Amino acid sequence: MVNQNKEILLVEDNPDDVELTRIAFAEAGSGYVIRVVSDGAQALDYLFARGQHAGRDVNDVPALVLLDLNLPKLNGREVLQAIRDNPTTRSLPVVVLTTSAEPMDVGSVYDLGANSYIQKPVEFERFVDVVRQIGLYWLVLNQPPNPA
Amino acid sequence: MTTTAPLDVRFRLAMASAGIGMAIVSTDGYWIEVNPALCKLLGYQAGELVGRQLHEFSHSDDLPLTERVLDRLPGSGEDVVEVEKRYVRADGQVIEVVVNSALMRDDSGHAEYFISQFRDVTAQRQAEEAFQGLNALLEQREHSHTLELEVANQRLESFVQGVSHDLRAPLRAIDGFATQLARRTAGQLDATAQDQLQRIRAASTRMGSLIDGLLELARINRAVLRPALIDVSLLAEWSLAELQDADPQRSVDVQVEPGLEVIGDERLLKIMLGQLLTNAWRFSATRPQIWIRVEGERNGDRLHMSIRDHGIGFDMAYAEKLFSPFQRLHGCDEGAGNGIGLTIAQQVAMRHGGKLSANAEPDHGACFHVELLDLEDQK
Repeated sequence: MVNQNKEILLVEDNPDDVELTRIAFAEAGSGYVIRVVSDGAQALDYLFARGQHAGRDVNDVPALVLLDLNLPKLNGREVLQAIRDNPTTRSLPVVVLTTSAEPMDVGSVYDLGANSYIQKPVEFERFVDVVRQIGLYWLVLNQPPNPA
Repeated sequence: MTTTAPLDVRFRLAMASAGIGMAIVSTDGYWIEVNPALCKLLGYQAGELVGRQLHEFSHSDDLPLTERVLDRLPGSGEDVVEVEKRYVRADGQVIEVVVNSALMRDDSGHAEYFISQFRDVTAQRQAEEAFQGLNALLEQREHSHTLELEVANQRLESFVQGVSHDLRAPLRAIDGFATQLARRTAGQLDATAQDQLQRIRAASTRMGSLIDGLLELARINRAVLRPALIDVSLLAEWSLAELQDADPQRSVDVQVEPGLEVIGDERLLKIMLGQLLTNAWRFSATRPQIWIRVEGERNGDRLHMSIRDHGIGFDMAYAEKLFSPFQRLHGCDEGAGNGIGLTIAQQVAMRHGGKLSANAEPDHGACFHVELLDLEDQK
């Protein structure tokens, strides 16, 4: 069953990257809504309907999480760990979209259960291309498991 | 040969004038005769020693050692024994002495007495102890140095990660928003303004390439090598195919000698060949045809390779600058890259125990010589 939720959760603290990602998704024409949270704690509050997101339907999980690694408060690895530890979000596709391409970073996030690791390219046109391919693969081609 | 005195007289003369401490000791451990050197060694007069037991002058901890010699030697098949033990001098100083005792027997084989030699090795032992202490200290320092190095490496690691992340992010913003600006204002900006926007984008791309180059250099220096038998010719062919793919219109004449092999790290060797062949390709940009030859020769455990081109070459007067990061001998318009490529190639050669050198002539092409040693682990 394809997730009917047309929402992508973007966990990103850099406003420039947020804006560029919005533009890139718009250019790629995904039709998805980008919801932005700017730190790891907010990301978990949103996903688990806590804090300022209390009352939200916890089963209404986004179609995809785009996760930066260098984040304030809880970093990307901690967020990923919490997502994988929770039955509601265990199978939620998480694409780590970050600036670093350090082999150590790559290995550690796969160990934590990331679905994909993508380095953000410096050139905008390549970035749009990357976003288009993420959208195509994770939101169109990929068949996620049925929710638990 | 004529003898001038009986044997025992000659022996006593030799004993008296010997530089080493000597004594005749009874089988039950009493000094019978002592020589001046021994008196000096122990700090006693001969009269104070003769007739007294060795025990009285031995260090209390070493008494069992003396007992063992006295008790066992006469009964054993051995007649000579050497032990190291401590004596206490008249002034109370403890000295380390190597005692060599030879058991003398009468005609019927009964033990009569010992002839013993005493050599003071206190200074030697002290020197050895000091040396051991020094060694331990050095080991300790080496250990703490290793720890410092580990800490420094960890810092470098997080520095590199920081560079990787934080220097790239602003560049992406520069390029991204400059692209947006160019699109939104298309047709409204004059040629100069459009050119300036393009320059902003080109500069951010160059900066991105510099950061990538520096990170690559840092990774190569700390990469864990994975040695395997590598067909270097195939790697060169692969790099050239990539260059041709990116520049399909170019007329090329490239030849790679097949079967050049070395035990090395495939990933690093591919990076090295990529850098060298990209250089050869770029600096041939102004030529009607790209001409490159990759040749090599195995010699024992090493592979010598040459990569020759007919490009613009360079002046050998600046050759030493070739391998320093950020040093370029040509401008961007002549095909120069980020100025780190050859440093990276050289680091790869060095990590393979080899080296990279070059010779060239302006306008007559360049030849890079690579020497690679088989990495040991796989031998």
